[in-house]
Amino acid sequence: MIEVLGVTKSFRGPGREVRAVDDASLHVGKGEFVLILGRSGSGKSTLLGLIAGLVRPTSGSVRIKGNDIGLLSDNSLAELRAREIGFVFQFSGLLPTLPALENVLVPTLLCRGGPGTRSRAREILARVGLTEREDAYPATLSSGEMKRVAIARALINGPSLLIADEPTGDLDVDTEYEIMDLFRQLNLEGMTIVMVTHNPDLACFATRLYVMDRGKLGLEPGPFPAKDREPGNAAAGAPDDE
Amino acid sequence: MSSRHEFHFPGLVFRNLVNRPYRTIVFVFSFALIAATLFSSQYLMSGARESLDEGVSRLGADILVVPEDYAAAGQSVMMTGEPNTFFFEDSGYRKISGLPGVARASPQIYIATLFASCCAAPVQMVAIDPETDFTVSVWLKENPGVTLGKNDIIIGSGVIQDTGRDLQFYGHTFHVVGQLARTGMGVDNSVFVRFEDAYVMAGESRQKAASALVIPRDRVSVVLVKTDPGRSAVSVADEIRRAVPGTRTIVREGLLDAVSGQLEALTRLLYGSTVAIAVVSVPLLGVISAMVTHERRREISLLRAIGAKKSFVARIVLAETLSLAVTGSLAGIGSAAVILAGFQDFIRISLEIPFTTPSAAAMIADGGIALLLPVAIGGISTLYPLLLVTRSEPYETIRRGEP
Repeated sequence: MIEVLGVTKSFRGPGREVRAVDDASLHVGKGEFVLILGRSGSGKSTLLGLIAGLVRPTSGSVRIKGNDIGLLSDNSLAELRAREIGFVFQFSGLLPTLPALENVLVPTLLCRGGPGTRSRAREILARVGLTEREDAYPATLSSGEMKRVAIARALINGPSLLIADEPTGDLDVDTEYEIMDLFRQLNLEGMTIVMVTHNPDLACFATRLYVMDRGKLGLEPGPFPAKDREPGNAAAGAPDDE
Repeated sequence: MSSRHEFHFPGLVFRNLVNRPYRTIVFVFSFALIAATLFSSQYLMSGARESLDEGVSRLGADILVVPEDYAAAGQSVMMTGEPNTFFFEDSGYRKISGLPGVARASPQIYIATLFASCCAAPVQMVAIDPETDFTVSVWLKENPGVTLGKNDIIIGSGVIQDTGRDLQFYGHTFHVVGQLARTGMGVDNSVFVRFEDAYVMAGESRQKAASALVIPRDRVSVVLVKTDPGRSAVSVADEIRRAVPGTRTIVREGLLDAVSGQLEALTRLLYGSTVAIAVVSVPLLGVISAMVTHERRREISLLRAIGAKKSFVARIVLAETLSLAVTGSLAGIGSAAVILAGFQDFIRISLEIPFTTPSAAAMIADGGIALLLPVAIGGISTLYPLLLVTRSEPYETIRRGEP
């Protein structure tokens, strides 16, 4: 599904070059739930940006479903993101001028011929528990509700890959686990998920865990037991690699 | 009809506009101001031109011959109906009639009236010679059954009295037999009587009027001249000035030039204001657009992150700005049209120009021009914000926004 081969991303810092991602390689099979764990500034979000084609690598290559995204034009890359990738950010990233339902429908404008319809948007909102809030504007939603709308938006075009950048970073513990349960269910239904977090407690949800430190990426051998709290319906075991 | 996606691009643009009311109001107001100023300039020019064409056409004359010292007064009677009394030797008229190139000539006597019950201000009385007239007689031919007989009077559109009623000037009673259509020129504030009735009125004025009126029998105020077909009005006018010393001639084109001259200052002011507003608006709206785009940079970056092409983002920014430009312009043009139509007489009097409501075609053309400029300004003002958006790294912008 995803192959990251020797990717480096350097930025010009004051007086020196900073390697945010340093020769990272990563393999994500279809149906996996890959977690990239790291502290703030470790380069994990940059790696996620590289995987999603939002950041161009300094060297190395990223392949999604066999396509080297470094060779794709801006437009082709945008089409790939609209069709194949659902993105959930740390902040909700909802458009403040649209009610929840229409926020969920925004990606349908970017993916003509996709599965997104108003009724599907309602179904997804119902699935994330927001049936009653479809007409609410983001300013009136709680952080957890906004996050769930953002997840619904990520799912509307039926992507095969869900990328989540610290999706539970600003949530309380209960809401955090509700969101993670939802991710786990999606994963069990076959969705490939790549998520970065600084919270090691979430490692129990992953089928594969990477740790990132100062730009270097390393694979952490499992299993990954929960430390403080086991989510109610978290299923053990990972699907087989592709 | 509902489509598969059920959420459309116009819906996204509409929500963005409606739910950002402050920006929307500022933009709509700015565009309305630009369009209203430009439309007003165009409207005044069109109204003056059409009025002049109509007035000159009704006059039917190619040349107006006036006493040398009263050229400006004669012009002002023609254009705005400002009352005046002046004369020159009647013998001049007889000479003019016999000159080569003159097909017809008809004398008129201009008499500034005193206040009358019909009017808020004195009107211009024009005494015509029914034997030679080709100005009022044209109108009479268009209105069969109406004749200008003894003590009859034909009134301009701006004179308030019903046909069939009486009007008094210098104590003399006239019977209104007809009213001319509106031209926007001096004729609207004029009344037309026969020479003979004017002389009688002047004779009676010593007893009947507050001040006596004197009209010398051997003098006229102006001579209207129609040239032979194919003859140049300018060359005939030169001939007249040579043959009748002490006269000035005003040709049709001269009237147009005079009005254009009067309008020039006004149009310079209006077009100048439009240019000034446009020059200020482009950077102002550009800065506001840039500020709004900057404020929305994370939102726009997010759209790009979830699969929006740069062209999609550009379409949003352009569609929003152009929607505001069109809405604001239409509001500005509509408001200006209502105000200008409502104050039409005030405009004509205060600017001292011939003026009538422009035709629908002229107004549509004026409105079109007034719509195009703000739309162009809107387009230009979005260029810089668009550049900012398309050059930004979406993911960096998104992450910079993170707490």
